[in-house]
Amino acid sequence: MKLNWKKCIASTLLVFLATGLAACTADANESASTGAKGNQTPVEISYATFMVGSHVSAEAEKQIIDEFNEAYEGKIKVVIEELPSDEAYVNKMKALAASKALPDVAIGKQGIRELAIKNGQAVDLMPLLEADPEWKEYIGAGAISYNQADDGKLYSIANAKQLIGYFYNKDMFETAGIQPAKTWDEFMANNEKLKAAGFTPLAMMTGENAWTTNLWLAAMIGTDGEAGHSFMNTTHPESYENASMIQALSMIQTCLQEYTTSDAVGAMYANAANNFLQEKTALIANGPWMVPDFSDTSKAKAGLADRVGVALYPNDGIVAQYEVGYILCSNGKSEEEQAAALEFLKFKTGKRAQEIFLDKSGALPLTANVEISETYKTANPLVAELITISGDAKYGFENIDNTAFSSVVSEFSLNYPDLAYGEITPEEMAAKLTAAVAKSK
Amino acid sequence: MRKKNKWISIFLLPGVSIFIFVFMLSILMLVGTSFANWTIGSKITFAGFSNYSTLFTEDPAFIKSMMNTGIWIALQATIHIAIGVLLALLLAKQKWYTSFVRTAFFIPNIISSAALGMLFLSILNPQFGLVNNVMTKLLGEPFVQNWFMDPKTSFFSVTMTWLPYAGLVTILVMAEMASIPKEVYEAASIDGATSMQTDLFVVLPMMKNIIGTATILAATSMLQKLDIIMMTTGGGPGVRTMNMPMYLYRTALTDNNYGLANAQGVILIFLGLLTLITIRKIFKMDQED
Repeated sequence: MKLNWKKCIASTLLVFLATGLAACTADANESASTGAKGNQTPVEISYATFMVGSHVSAEAEKQIIDEFNEAYEGKIKVVIEELPSDEAYVNKMKALAASKALPDVAIGKQGIRELAIKNGQAVDLMPLLEADPEWKEYIGAGAISYNQADDGKLYSIANAKQLIGYFYNKDMFETAGIQPAKTWDEFMANNEKLKAAGFTPLAMMTGENAWTTNLWLAAMIGTDGEAGHSFMNTTHPESYENASMIQALSMIQTCLQEYTTSDAVGAMYANAANNFLQEKTALIANGPWMVPDFSDTSKAKAGLADRVGVALYPNDGIVAQYEVGYILCSNGKSEEEQAAALEFLKFKTGKRAQEIFLDKSGALPLTANVEISETYKTANPLVAELITISGDAKYGFENIDNTAFSSVVSEFSLNYPDLAYGEITPEEMAAKLTAAVAKSK
Repeated sequence: MRKKNKWISIFLLPGVSIFIFVFMLSILMLVGTSFANWTIGSKITFAGFSNYSTLFTEDPAFIKSMMNTGIWIALQATIHIAIGVLLALLLAKQKWYTSFVRTAFFIPNIISSAALGMLFLSILNPQFGLVNNVMTKLLGEPFVQNWFMDPKTSFFSVTMTWLPYAGLVTILVMAEMASIPKEVYEAASIDGATSMQTDLFVVLPMMKNIIGTATILAATSMLQKLDIIMMTTGGGPGVRTMNMPMYLYRTALTDNNYGLANAQGVILIFLGLLTLITIRKIFKMDQED
C-alpha cells in the first residue's frame, strides 16, 4: 500500500489543532466557572521594583510584599516585575509609559510620575487620602505637601524621609589626626592629610546616576550661601551655569583627580560601597540605609560598624528630603483592580511598611507616628546619631536625583570622566548640563 | 498548474503576513512619526523636516554618533574580516592546533554581548583588572589605567571588545573552502604555485561571495551594537564612544523624544541600506562569476 504523506501530515496537524483548541476552550470554561463560583481567584495587580538582589532595601521590600500577600491571601495577589538596577527600572517604566502600560503601582522617580500623569494612568491620591484619615496620619503633612502639585492634586506618596550625611572611618581619621570638617576648605585639607597618611579619602562613583559623587556635589552647592541653598531646593532648574555649581564642580574635579580610588570614574554604586566597606577609603556620602551593611560580614570587614562615624556635610549641611515615592496607575482598570491596587499602595506606604523599612534598611519613617524606639536607637547608634545631628543642620537641601531632569542626571555620568581627566572645564560641564535641560522639555 | 499556484500562495501567506504586519507597518510608522513632534502623553503633531534638521544642524552629539558608527563599520569591514579570513586560511591547512583554535576563537561569538561586556569590565578594571595587574608585574611598578573611562583610551577599549573576534567569519569562509574540489589545489600545485600563491590567487577569488556576505554581516552588526556599549561606557566619556543605536536609545528612553528618536531610526536604516549596497558593489556580488 502506498503511503499518502500529504494526508498523513494534514491529519496530524488537524489533530494538534483540535487538541489545542479544546485545551483553550477548557481553560476558558474553567476560568468562567471559577468566576461563577464566586471569585475564588485573587485579583492580580502588578508592581515593579528595583529593590532586588543585592540592593540595600531588597530584604525590606521582600518582607513587605510577603506580608501583604499573606494578609490578603485569596483576595489580592501582587505580581512583581523585578528590574536589576535603578537605571534599568527607569528605562523600562518609561518604555511602558509610552504604551500606557505602567504597572498598577510603581515608584515614580526620575520623571516616571510626570509621564504617568501625562499618559492619564496616574490617579489623584488626595481624595483617597482624605477618605482614610488613619493612612493620612501616617503619611503626614510634610510628605503630602512635598509631592502636592500647585492645583492641590497629589500623584505620589513617599514611604520614607531621607536624611543623608556622610559616613567616615574613625580609625583612619584618628591615624590622620583629623575630625569631620566644619568648612569645605577644611574638608579638602582633611583629604590631603588622609592621603599623606596612606589612605584613599573618598569612595566615589560616576557611573549609573553618579549617586555618591552627586551627593558631595549637592552638599557643596547646597551649603554655599543662600544662592546655592536655594538652587539645591529648586525642582528642575533651567540653568546650571551659576557660581555655586561651577565652584562645586571644580572641587569635585579635584576630588576625582586626587582623592578617590582609581576605579571611581565610571564605577557603579556597588564599587564605591565596596571600597568603603572593605576599608579602602575613609569617607562615603550615603543615607542611613547603608548602615545594616556595616555589620554584614559578607559585605564589610569584621567590626567595621564600630569604626564608622556619621557627620553633617561641611558648613552644617544635610540632604533632607522626601522621595517622589509611589504612584497609583490604575486609571481605566476595573473597580476591583483599582481597589486592590489602592490597598497595596496603602500597605506599601503605611505604618507597617515604614516600620519594616526602618528596621531592615535604616530608612527613616515619614512622621513621629511611627516611633523610633529606644531599643532601635541602641541597636542602631549611627541612625540615632544622624537623627540627632540633623537637628544642628543649618542647611537642608535635596539631592540632584530629586531636582534634576533624567536627561541632566545622565549628562552628569557622561561628562564626569571628561571633567576628571581635564578634558572639559567646570564651566563647560555646567553649560552641557544646561543644554541637557532643553532635551527634557 | 492552478492548483500548484494555490498551494504556493497558501504557503507564502504566513511569511508575507508577518512581513507586512511586523516589519512593513512598523517601518511605515517609523518613517511617518519621524516627521512628527511626539513625546509621551502629548499629541502627535506634524513637524515637517524639523527633526532631521535638528539632528544635522543643532545636535553635535548625533553627528559624533554617526561618525563613530561609520568608523566602526569601516573597521569591521576591513580589519575584522581580514582577521577572520586569515585565520580561515591558516586553519584550512589542518595542523594539530586547528580544532582547538577554531573552537577557542569562536567562544566570544557564543557568549551574550551583555556577559561579554561584564567580562571586559572586569578584565580592564583599573583596580583589580587582569590587564593592569599584568602590566604592573611586567613594569615592576603600579600601573593604573582606566581603559574605558580615560578619554584617550575609551574608543580603542570599546573597539577591542568586538573587533578581533571574527570567529563567525572564519567559520563561514572555512565552510565555503570545504566545497573547493581537490582538483583545483592539485592543478595549482602542478602549475608550480606555492601554498601562499594558491591561497591568494586561487582560493580567495573563489571565496569572493562568502567574504562579501561575511563583510555585510560584520559591517551591519555595527548598526545594532548597543549592549556592550551600554555595559561598558554608556557612550561616554562625553560622547566619545556613542554610536547611533545608543544615542537613539537615550533619545527615546531618557529624553522621551520619540519623534527625534524615530528620525534617527530612519537615518540608521538608510545607513544600513547604503552599507549593504556599497559592499555588494565592492564585491560585485550581483554579478555572475
